[in-house]
Amino acid sequence: MIELQGLTKTYAGKRVVDDVSLTLQSGEFGVLIGPSGCGKSTTLKMINRLIPLSEGRILINGDDVTQLPVEQLRRRIGYAIQSTGLFPHWSVARNVATVPQLLKWPKARIDDRVDELMTLFQLDPAEFRDKYPHQLSGGQAQRVGVARALAADPEVLLMDEPFGAVDPLTRETLQAEMRRVHAQTGKTIVFVTHDMDEALALATRIALLNGGRLVQYERPIEMLVDPADDFVREFIGQADLGLKLLSRRFVHQYQRRARLAPETGLERLDEHAWLVDAEGRPSALAGARLDDADAITRVKPEWIATPEMSMKEALSRMVWYRVTALPVVDRDGRLIAEVGMPGVMGIEGDGAAREAAS
Amino acid sequence: MPREHTPRVIGNRVLLTLWLAAAIGVALLPFATLSPNRLVSGQPVMLWQALPGWQLGALGLIAAGLLLAALARGLASRTACWLGLALTLPLLGLTLFALGDYAQRALAEASPAARVSQGGAFWLLLLAAALIAVDALQRLRLALLARALFALLALGLIGACLASDLLAPLSLMREFANQRDIFVAQGLRHLALVGGALLPALALGLPLGLVATRSRRWRDGLFSVLNVFQTLPSIAVFGLLIAPLAALAHAVPWLGELGVSGIGVAPAIIALVLYSLLPVVRNTYAGLAGVPATTLEAARGMGMTSRQILWRVGLPLALPVILSGLRIVTVQAIGLTVVAALIGAGGFGAFIFQGLGQYAIDLVLLGAIPTIVLAVIADFLLQLLVAASRPPGTR
Repeated sequence: MIELQGLTKTYAGKRVVDDVSLTLQSGEFGVLIGPSGCGKSTTLKMINRLIPLSEGRILINGDDVTQLPVEQLRRRIGYAIQSTGLFPHWSVARNVATVPQLLKWPKARIDDRVDELMTLFQLDPAEFRDKYPHQLSGGQAQRVGVARALAADPEVLLMDEPFGAVDPLTRETLQAEMRRVHAQTGKTIVFVTHDMDEALALATRIALLNGGRLVQYERPIEMLVDPADDFVREFIGQADLGLKLLSRRFVHQYQRRARLAPETGLERLDEHAWLVDAEGRPSALAGARLDDADAITRVKPEWIATPEMSMKEALSRMVWYRVTALPVVDRDGRLIAEVGMPGVMGIEGDGAAREAAS
Repeated sequence: MPREHTPRVIGNRVLLTLWLAAAIGVALLPFATLSPNRLVSGQPVMLWQALPGWQLGALGLIAAGLLLAALARGLASRTACWLGLALTLPLLGLTLFALGDYAQRALAEASPAARVSQGGAFWLLLLAAALIAVDALQRLRLALLARALFALLALGLIGACLASDLLAPLSLMREFANQRDIFVAQGLRHLALVGGALLPALALGLPLGLVATRSRRWRDGLFSVLNVFQTLPSIAVFGLLIAPLAALAHAVPWLGELGVSGIGVAPAIIALVLYSLLPVVRNTYAGLAGVPATTLEAARGMGMTSRQILWRVGLPLALPVILSGLRIVTVQAIGLTVVAALIGAGGFGAFIFQGLGQYAIDLVLLGAIPTIVLAVIADFLLQLLVAASRPPGTR
């Protein structure tokens, strides 16, 4: 648990962080967001004392951070930054081992931990252990950066715009991975970004700052639905509010039972239906095409949905491929349900869906 | 391929230029000089007068081979480079051998006081061999280790010529034989002066460079002071130190007993240290300042102490730049130590100034050649060190 109490930072008489108080429960994913110069990065860096605070208190699991020796404090807190800050003269393994080495763990334990973390971030230890940072792609380097931050199993993980410098595609992959790692490790995370979509994709709590002050601290959907004032409304962006909401909703919440097509009489169907192959994988869709309601359409890999997919992405695929329903498949590619326009409109799915969601 | 439309004749302009320069030099400058005694200037002897037919033939073959390597036709460019490189060794060997051989024959029929010295064409041939080798090594992009091996081979060849009696009849080598003991002593003195200046320069310069990264105010003051030293002419500094050091040795007798005096080793080392400080401090500062800010922030955020950040991150990343500074300073100190001979510090410079005074050019060479060799070897070794210090991740 992280508590900020009346946190204030003054530079030359100017309050860049002004009386910020909030509590982040253990295991939560808190995102600090706001326009440039709102004090979000300063707030983050006061937590591990890279910037000394001027007034107020910060407690981590009840301990006042200013009461601990500063290096000892930082070794208890994971820290990942934009452009990774990897040590260019050290191999990937040695980079990941930075904090365990500072803590003088025995070598065998460090090696195990490095392998474990690299596996967690889907970097094959055999391939990547001995590589150097300049041999990695942006996404791989960023994964190593986060793995390094988690190496000594810190109580808290601080991330300062870690995905700010990677391309949008890689960023989405990294966000998905971060969601997974958060779910697997249950770490308390404080994450700074200026990108609302990123905040919505990751946060369990969003703290919106402006001019050094905390404007609203709320769960993502609540913030979307009930913004505290005009600034919040404007910052979230009114125009695509509906899409933003969809980015917090997932296919498993809205999927419905898929209707299988009968062996014969496809042309007499009054509703769309799915054709599956011998293994149960969706092969074609009868009906449900916008331009030709009676057509039979071969299922393409690009418009298959998974239960973990956000409804925003599902909608995007429906629009792009001009279909009103997507097949939902399990890990083996078998048809388990479908998701369609009613789901996009926020109409809950049926029993099978709720079962999958639980 | 454009090459097929416009066939090029010249493949390696550098090699061709060197070839022509050497050819013109050999045509115009004497290969050796023959004089009746040590102090009289001698008769010029041209290459074709000095060399017997078989040596001229061999030289012609080498020249033809080098010309072939310079032209684009007939050989692939890499093969041409290898050919050029390979021919530099026989060129070097033949030039040295021919001079020694000529001296032997010429002196056999002259008076005992007669002397044979090397001439301009001799030096030009050696220089051409060296430059052709450097050019070929660069074009072949050989690893540093391979270059070192080749340099060792060439040095071994020269060393073998010096060790054998082949060159002994030369005036320069006779001078060396006369001065052998002094030569060794002055050589050791030269090295001691360079080492004695570099150690304090590093001991002072590294911490000062560190201070420069920590405080802007210190940095500005430090660099302006050190810049002043760098702009002072070395002879002036040696001269300026004489009076205060003499006074100091007089006022503090135990310093005088330690060897501090207005002339000699003490002012030489002080001046060399002053000259060495700026490059050491500047490169230490530049190396440390060049470490990316995000890397340092990450190190701090991970919980490294200032000392750990310096030793584990800052210095390893700055080391190549710091060693480049050491390389500059070492070569500079080897050269400046020559001047220190003027105030009685000794070293190879002593031969040079003695030779200048006596108008004995061989004595000047006896000081100048080892100084140059020393500088080139030190430069090369430190280059190796710089390459080795580059962290594997940034090579």
